[in-house]
Amino acid sequence: MSSPKGAKAAASKSPVSKSPASKSPASKAKAAPRAAAKPAPAAKKAAARKAPSRAKAGDGDPTPAQKAAFLKALAGGVKPNSAALRKLEEKKGGAFAPSPPAPQRKVEVLRRIPAPAPRLETPETKDALRIAALIESGLARGELDKVQPHAQQALAAALCRLYAANHEMGERYPILTAQGAPVTATDVMVMCGALLKAVDLQVFELGMWQSWSSG
Amino acid sequence: MAEQFVGKASEFKDGERQIIRIGEDEIGVFRHAGAFYAYSNFCLHQGGPACEGLTIARVIEPLREDKTSMGLHFHESDMNFVCPWHGYEYDMKTGEHVADRRIKLRKYDVVQKGDEVYVLA
Ligand code: FES
Repeated sequence: MSSPKGAKAAASKSPVSKSPASKSPASKAKAAPRAAAKPAPAAKKAAARKAPSRAKAGDGDPTPAQKAAFLKALAGGVKPNSAALRKLEEKKGGAFAPSPPAPQRKVEVLRRIPAPAPRLETPETKDALRIAALIESGLARGELDKVQPHAQQALAAALCRLYAANHEMGERYPILTAQGAPVTATDVMVMCGALLKAVDLQVFELGMWQSWSSG
Repeated sequence: MAEQFVGKASEFKDGERQIIRIGEDEIGVFRHAGAFYAYSNFCLHQGGPACEGLTIARVIEPLREDKTSMGLHFHESDMNFVCPWHGYEYDMKTGEHVADRRIKLRKYDVVQKGDEVYVLA
């Protein structure tokens, strides 16, 4: 064991002593064993020279027969649950191992949203569609007087009441669809104006009613 | 990604939807025209329940040769779903916003094995 003084002298010679940390008393004390161990490299070298011969004789390495079996297994394909597979797993760190079952995450059904109600083709629906098609075909041919005004009035009144009754019951659907021949903005204004006039309503009354209700 | 069992295809009617939770993810699973689609239920606008609003056919406006409009029509096969909060409309087949295709809901793959439906999540 060298004295702290001697340690300091030895430390100042070694490359370690150049670091600022080595200036502290603690590091000085630590530097002493390092300095003392300096002659060790020779012994280390000797040990290193011996080491490979020890490694050759190690127990963990496969024997030539095991190696041959391993290569044979590789060439022949790896059978599940075989010793070769286990060996492969060992060698490759499990890279060929069947992936472990994924952790089961719970699927929670929060809501089921049913499909929109299917369109029912009732006999009345079929009749109404037939009448609509008749009117459309007459229009297309320019035959505007085939459906006489009293029939139009009956149709308009019935449709108006049917739509309003459904609306009241919460059955909200668009009165016009984009299918078939387009209804123009002018058509709508003419018809709405006529309907308002028929029940003696002004446009501002319609506006007031709409602002007060959800209609 | 693991297959998560969602339900039986035979119990999942066409046009029906299921909102499911897998871990932290809330997912809308749709069945439309026989096929299954699954998207994140978080709207890209402000996080509304994107998959729980109306399903509505894509609105198209065909033009005549002189470029005048033939009116608005519903597309016969393209279906969209609409976020109920402010109306972001997403394509059922891709999850893309119909007006800006760069905006896209997270899509989950759906696998059908026999009668069983799985979502990869
Ligand atoms: S949050 Fe979906 S549209 Fe605004």
